[in-house]
Amino acid sequence: MSSEEVKVEGACPTDEVRIGVYVCHCGLNIAGVINVKEVVEYAQKLPNVVSAKEYIFMCSAPGQDLIREDIKKCKLNRVVIAACGPEMHEPTFRAVLEEAGLNPYVLEMVSIREGSSWVHYEDPEAATEKAKDMVRMAVARARNLEPLEKMSGEVKQRALIVGGGIAGLASALDLAERGFEVHIVEKKPVLGGHAARMGQLNVEGRKVSGKDLVDYLVKKVKDNPNVHIYTNAEVTKVDGSIGNFTITVKLKPRYVNDKCTSCGKCVEVCPVTAPNEYEYGIGERKAIFLPFEGAYPNQYVIDPETCTFCGKCVEVCPEGAINLDEKEKEITLEVGGIILATGHDPYEPPVGEYGYGLSPKVITLHQLKRLLSEDGPTKGELVIDGKRPRNIVFISCVGSLGTTPNANQYCSRMCCSASLLEALHIKEKYPDAQVFFVHKDVRTYGKDENLYWKAIDNLVKFVRFEESPKVTVGKGEVKVEVEESTIQERLVIPADLVVLVTGMEPPKEIEELRSLFKVGCGGDGFLKEAHLKLNPVESLTGGIYLAGTATGPKSIAESIVAGSAAAAKAASLLSKDTIEVEPIVAVVDEDKCSGCGICVSICPYGAISLEKKEDGTRVSKVDPMLCQGCGTCGAACPSAAIQQNSYKDKQIIPQILAVFER
Amino acid sequence: MSKPKVALYWCASCGGCEEATVDLTERLFDLVEAVDIVFWPIAMDFKREDLEKMEDGSIDIAIINGGIRFEEHEEMVKLLRRKSKIVIAYGSCAHLGGIPGLANAYPREEILKFAYEEAPTVINQDRVRPMKKTTVDGMEFELPDFLEYLKPLDEVIDVDYYIPGCPPTPDLTWEAVSKLLSGEIPPKGHVFGSDKSLCHECPLNETKPDEIKLEELKRPHQVVLDRSKCYLTQGVLCMGPVTRGGCEALCIKGGMPCTGCFGPLEGVYNQGAKALSFLASVIDIEDEEKYREMLEKLGFDPIGWFFRYSLAKGMIYRKKGDGE
Repeated sequence: MSSEEVKVEGACPTDEVRIGVYVCHCGLNIAGVINVKEVVEYAQKLPNVVSAKEYIFMCSAPGQDLIREDIKKCKLNRVVIAACGPEMHEPTFRAVLEEAGLNPYVLEMVSIREGSSWVHYEDPEAATEKAKDMVRMAVARARNLEPLEKMSGEVKQRALIVGGGIAGLASALDLAERGFEVHIVEKKPVLGGHAARMGQLNVEGRKVSGKDLVDYLVKKVKDNPNVHIYTNAEVTKVDGSIGNFTITVKLKPRYVNDKCTSCGKCVEVCPVTAPNEYEYGIGERKAIFLPFEGAYPNQYVIDPETCTFCGKCVEVCPEGAINLDEKEKEITLEVGGIILATGHDPYEPPVGEYGYGLSPKVITLHQLKRLLSEDGPTKGELVIDGKRPRNIVFISCVGSLGTTPNANQYCSRMCCSASLLEALHIKEKYPDAQVFFVHKDVRTYGKDENLYWKAIDNLVKFVRFEESPKVTVGKGEVKVEVEESTIQERLVIPADLVVLVTGMEPPKEIEELRSLFKVGCGGDGFLKEAHLKLNPVESLTGGIYLAGTATGPKSIAESIVAGSAAAAKAASLLSKDTIEVEPIVAVVDEDKCSGCGICVSICPYGAISLEKKEDGTRVSKVDPMLCQGCGTCGAACPSAAIQQNSYKDKQIIPQILAVFER
Repeated sequence: MSKPKVALYWCASCGGCEEATVDLTERLFDLVEAVDIVFWPIAMDFKREDLEKMEDGSIDIAIINGGIRFEEHEEMVKLLRRKSKIVIAYGSCAHLGGIPGLANAYPREEILKFAYEEAPTVINQDRVRPMKKTTVDGMEFELPDFLEYLKPLDEVIDVDYYIPGCPPTPDLTWEAVSKLLSGEIPPKGHVFGSDKSLCHECPLNETKPDEIKLEELKRPHQVVLDRSKCYLTQGVLCMGPVTRGGCEALCIKGGMPCTGCFGPLEGVYNQGAKALSFLASVIDIEDEEKYREMLEKLGFDPIGWFFRYSLAKGMIYRKKGDGE
């Protein structure tokens, strides 16, 4: 079987096909190695080729003119351009075709530069032969290319932001200030995420707390009429695709309405206590509580998990703000784009890891930050087990750099700076404290580097390990044993307080989130960027953007940068009335589809679903707005029922067969 | 009007296809009533000479099962082609090479060496091999040569239609033959059976969830199958998605996963590769080491699993021996 006579349905009748082949010199990039003239002569002899020409730069204005004129003069209906790869100039040449009255999708670009002249510069003759092979294959493929029409869809110029932490707030503010309607859905009863409880930050030596930043953003956000805030709310359903999503949001009952003046009388009578998650487990809260001082909304909330609904709070509330019969509500939002700013969980060491959970003297960095915060449970006083600790040992990279079996393999980015800042904080507050920083590595990168030198000046003792240290918890005593790798000596440090410098891990509900929004996760469990470098705030699903620590550990500054970047990306979508999508998408032949569902299982974009037909059988259906044309389903379809536009079997198979047709 | 003439012949096959013809049971009488069987060596006393004497194109339908492995097969099917208007490749071996086609994983020399010298049950100190020609007591004997590879029927002669299956079901056989006899002629190259994969007619298809993710693969003997639930979702390789339907899902109903005997669907170039591709797509193991462990535990046999009937039909399928 030759490439010309592939038995495929709907193949173009070969006598009608008129192909033009244009070989580019790319200056000397191609012509310096490949004998372009020879390639052109070869192309002229290929079946269906009616014109073959060369030019020094096909992408230049005269080069484009040459193609345009040829298309008209020779009545071409397929164009092959042998030049560079399609990344750069495919749009250029598609436009050329369109201007000459051809459909832009009957273009085939073949990269004789990257594929031949650049890599085979040492052997010009072989490079020329290879270029001929590549052109022959391209012609075989071009023969069966079909005209395609772009598809377009309406864009609802509103955004959904999932997560009201610092990244979500930053992106909400940016979008709202550009005039877009924004809906923030926050699962917790308050905005601010982890940043609100991060205590002091390193802002060029000034005393700024995470709460200050959150307050600033919250104020701007709540004053902006474009922003709608839903706290204590969860997205339960996502329908539609880029430009046109329908979101179902569950509004969980708060049981306390906005008449609440935060007087606190209810808390006094509430009989139920629970560990306070807003203080990372330090101290307790009641079933009715204010997550933290100055939280937004500044309104008490009842945790239905712990509340016994005894009604005592209702009796004492002077404003009548409590309603224990409040029911869950559901709303739907119509949005064009979604920003996932769903954040992270602090790494929670398992009980026994570095003595965690075995002694009150072993705490995490997050807990230390709460203890040192003026709005924290001890109003900023560092008191452990009733005493002020003197020997304080930080152990870094807990949950990061692969130090323990559960740990993330990489660095959590913010913990070195955050812990050294607190070490300095302790030194300043309690100058007689001895602080040891037991570390695998110190990564106070960028502008935080000053923290490292300041810590050295302030006599923080740096102890480096290669093998993870051992924490032994005895009777009221805690010891840290470590093999110091620089001086190669075993040190035993008695500690009044061990601070485990914990990193970040994906939030527990990441799996639900992933399947709800149909976005991918990386091997580390965080949400996956479309491209780590080129598209760091876009997900693999069109119209869904990623901000903050949803994609992995970040500092507050980096989270805000990511929030703004995601807003910018979303704005470029939302500013349009309609969007056009590439017609290079998968198409299902219902007559062949058996409804086996393989394609549904593997589509990385959630673009395929099984549809039940009247006779009870199932067929798969591709949503062209969601399909990104990756081709995975077409390759996996066991019945060859899925074909991808421009990459159909009738286009690819002749190209493969042509390899052997010299 | 004379009755249509039908010839039946077998090449490299197990005899199961002949059995399947007999399984037409009472309908066999209808068939004999409707047609003249002019050649059927396994059941009736016909010789090659009888066939040679017939006029070219005088047979209406030749139904040939088995792959082409011996010179004799090649000669006989070419002869049958010449004598017949319509040639049907009957059963997996004629259609795709079938089980005997699995021998294509080894070159001819290796097969003969094993069969006549190395197999544990063979005692052959003189290393005698079957020879094409040999003389005994002054008489010359000739044996058909063992060909380099097994070929499906359509690689040797032009084939009009295919009836797939190992063996084809009596119902499908009857449907195909009665269609052809009634003059309902499908386009050339037509494969009888369904145009959709087995899943479409499988009684367990509706138990299959929208998304399939397998964390482990098992062979049928390693698991007690729940017969009310899609076997593939139970981690057992079922070739159903990549196999033409039309078999009434007999294996599935009998508690065994599909092994793929009806071959690929129109437009699928390589059934085994396609099977490998779809299965790999639904295995949900990220870690390569774990993947290897799973395959190790499984006793992974890609040729036996994915190419059981179609090895001789793929695009790349013949192992070359040294110097060949």
